[in-house]
Amino acid sequence: MLNLFQLVLQIAVILVAARIVGFLFQKINQPQVMGEMVAGILLGPSLLGWLAPGASAALFPAASLSYLNALSQVGLVVFMFVVGLALDPSELHGYGHAAVLTSHVSIVAPFCLGGLTALYFYPRLSDDSVTFTHFALFMGAAMSITAFPVLARILTERGLLRSRMGTLAVACAAVDDVTGWCILAYIVVLVRVAHAARPAWVTIAGSFVYVFIMLVVVRRLLPALERAFRKRDHLSDNLLALIVVLVLASALATEWLGIHLLFGAFLMGAIMPKAPDFTRYLLHKFESVTVVLLLPLFFAYTGLRTRIGVGGGHAIWFYSAIVIVVAITGKLGGSMFAARLAGMPWREAAALGVLMNTRGLMELVILNIGLDIGVISQAMFSIMVLMALVTTFMTTPLLEWVYPTRLFRAQVTSEEVHQSVA
Amino acid sequence: MVGLPVLGLLGILEAGRGIPAPLSITGDWTLEFDPAAHCANSPGSFERQRAWSISQSGTEALITFNDGRATTLEATVNGVALTAKSLTATISGKPGTRTLEGVAGFDGCAPVAFRAVRQAPKKGGV
Repeated sequence: MLNLFQLVLQIAVILVAARIVGFLFQKINQPQVMGEMVAGILLGPSLLGWLAPGASAALFPAASLSYLNALSQVGLVVFMFVVGLALDPSELHGYGHAAVLTSHVSIVAPFCLGGLTALYFYPRLSDDSVTFTHFALFMGAAMSITAFPVLARILTERGLLRSRMGTLAVACAAVDDVTGWCILAYIVVLVRVAHAARPAWVTIAGSFVYVFIMLVVVRRLLPALERAFRKRDHLSDNLLALIVVLVLASALATEWLGIHLLFGAFLMGAIMPKAPDFTRYLLHKFESVTVVLLLPLFFAYTGLRTRIGVGGGHAIWFYSAIVIVVAITGKLGGSMFAARLAGMPWREAAALGVLMNTRGLMELVILNIGLDIGVISQAMFSIMVLMALVTTFMTTPLLEWVYPTRLFRAQVTSEEVHQSVA
Repeated sequence: MVGLPVLGLLGILEAGRGIPAPLSITGDWTLEFDPAAHCANSPGSFERQRAWSISQSGTEALITFNDGRATTLEATVNGVALTAKSLTATISGKPGTRTLEGVAGFDGCAPVAFRAVRQAPKKGGV
């Protein structure tokens, strides 16, 4: 039964922890979202449950977590819509060979290394309810993701979004995100079909029909929303509610098909009209509540499922080191060498590799899906969460080291002068 | 550019098919004890142990007793053997119809024979 007092108390504690740790992380030049992710981990068994198990059990009893999960899932649905909304395929235009090569290699290299790592981890951290193929494909997808929203935030906070490097990184991350989600959708379908009563052809045929309806029918109707926005410079409450209903309907369709709730929300955002002022308006409307209120709940729920260093002894730290090294080698190394092959100077290629190595929030989303569908174990989940935190944390200092802000700014200034002369 | 990694991945998937994974015991279990079993030290001890919940990561497992105190017991899966401080059991059956048979001791009682049947595979954490 819902204990409203307890739920409201949980939300208040989570928000306070998220704001305080987020503020502290900003003081050390980390993005706020990094601090919020760490705050979630600190509230779970990795710290609070370890230091004060009584207080942790009283504040977050297992029976109460389903409500926290429900709220965080609603937040994620809106967040995935926002992520899709912020994606603009036209960003790739003009970057040609470098963007295409880098984005492809930055998926393929970590994906193959993730699959290779699965050979080692499958007999140690999985069990026979999961096939090796599902485990290996999931490990590959989880290793190859880039956190497009966190990356964009890091670049914005450093004033680098408009630099050549910044726009190239965002374009590659956007391609990575779309590809990563497509691969993950395929894996989720594979796993769910193997355990579902519904025949596989229903999911497959239904997915094609759904994508067709979204891309051909719904996408053609959506510009009407943009036209309504242009008439009055804003959208009425009814039209905003209509957008929410469309997001929920798309999310429900993918959930019913057995793909996952979040894919539908993401696709809905991705097919929205991409006029900058319209996108900015919608982002402003949807982002605030999601980022300030609902995402910290997701981080806390993730933290409550994460047991860093709890159980497994010293082997867990050894496994974590392997995963972190492989993740960095595949993503940072793969992107850097691809960019160099495409003709970028070493320094810029290394900076691009560092940026592409940011996994952050998107990794947590994917890992939670993996744990929910049972394709990874609790220990593997915790190890991968640690990897997501490390690779996100290292982005800012490493970027400053390989490509100092003054060089970025000089590049932005010279490009602006070049454009004004042209 | 694409062909080589795809071939490599297919090779990995093929190589991985032969790797055995620990037997899955994650989920909720119902227990039956030897009807003649009796514990003088703690009367009613076996009646309280009618259900277990097991979570697992590879060979490591955590058994949570449904005894009102949520007592936990760390266990190890090694082949078909499940072993813990006060418990040894053999895992049998396919993942969907898995059973445990062995001996277990609770609350200072002498070990007694038990049989456990998994209800439905449980996925996810927390």
